Amino acid sequence: MVDWVLAVKIFIFGLLAVFCSLGILIAAIYGFGRVLKTFEKD
Amino acid sequence: MFEMILTTGVVHLTIGNLVMWLIAFLFVYLAITKNYEPLLLVPIGFGILVVNLPLTFLMGEGEGLLWKFYHYGLEWEIIPPLIFLGLGALTDFGPMIANPKTLILGAGAQFGVYVSFFGALLLGFNIPEACSIGIIGGADGPTTIYTTVHLAPHLLGATAVAAYSYMSLVPIIQPPIMRLLTTEKERKIKMRQLRPVSKKEKILFPLVTVVVICLIVPASAPLMAMFMLGNLFKECGVVKRLADAAANELMNIVTILLGISVGATMSAESFLRPQVIFVFIMGLVAFAFSTAAGVMLAKLMNLFAKEKINPLIGSAGVSAVPMAARVSQVMGARADPKNFLLMHAMGPNVAGVIGTVVAAGVFLALAR
Repeated sequence: MVDWVLAVKIFIFGLLAVFCSLGILIAAIYGFGRVLKTFEKD
Repeated sequence: MFEMILTTGVVHLTIGNLVMWLIAFLFVYLAITKNYEPLLLVPIGFGILVVNLPLTFLMGEGEGLLWKFYHYGLEWEIIPPLIFLGLGALTDFGPMIANPKTLILGAGAQFGVYVSFFGALLLGFNIPEACSIGIIGGADGPTTIYTTVHLAPHLLGATAVAAYSYMSLVPIIQPPIMRLLTTEKERKIKMRQLRPVSKKEKILFPLVTVVVICLIVPASAPLMAMFMLGNLFKECGVVKRLADAAANELMNIVTILLGISVGATMSAESFLRPQVIFVFIMGLVAFAFSTAAGVMLAKLMNLFAKEKINPLIGSAGVSAVPMAARVSQVMGARADPKNFLLMHAMGPNVAGVIGTVVAAGVFLALAR
């Protein structure tokens, strides 16, 4: 018997984790890019 | 005399063994003549052949040579992370850092993983088995193997072979889906040349990524940590020897052990089951949906973006580095010979590897 509640939980957490972690990475890349540019200008 | 004959393998041969020999010969044939993932299919094919030789006990628990490779290499989580170390040392994240939006495409292409996960559940597989089948859609061999060893080791041969087979078939599987979901006009979209990425950015990237990903999905740490360590070796420029060793000698050694260990799990009694056919079908479904989701997400992003993305690069989010990116390039060049998409497609391509590791980490955390 499949535990559908767990299956849905895996689906939601999984997709959320993938999008959130890559989303944070995007923000980090833009953020660090700006910081590095500022340092290089100084 | 009769007793002597009984000590040979000949009289213990089964029809199943012979069928597996044929499969082994087919893999070696495809690897040699068609160049389908030869680095993997040759050792896998050979592993299948020798493990189906009766009375050799190569997979005998505790004593068989191939069992030791399998147990200490795969069950002890040594080989897949070492492969990731080598992959990291070979990967250039520059195109992705230059255009970070493409990371979203790497995430979108994980959709097929979940379609296949639910498909496998509907076919009667349990949750750990469905996770191992779903992750095939990530098109990442070591991650598939790593997940399957933990969640459904009895399916290892089938999921590993399905993942590597479909990865080598990317140029056949993806183009019809990409053509179906895009218009000629969309395929002709030209993307602006990527900006140069500084060395500092490239060095910071693995450090930031390992912290971000491992904080969100700690279960992905073994793969992600080694992936980013390999990339740091490559980018920092002060440990060239280590980067070379990880990308070449070490990678080659662990590839041999990985291939033969996976092949060794494919004895006739464990592989010749109807379940295996379903694994292959669901693997293909996962691949197809991942490709489609990547393309559709790129089209969706175009609705909001000022600078249009060629949707053909979305399909590269399925990992399969660099084959999927090459398919995007070929399809784009077919629509317009002056269209160069390869570097743009490398962004979602390497992002897809990260996305698949994250998806695998969630599977391992919740389904184990």
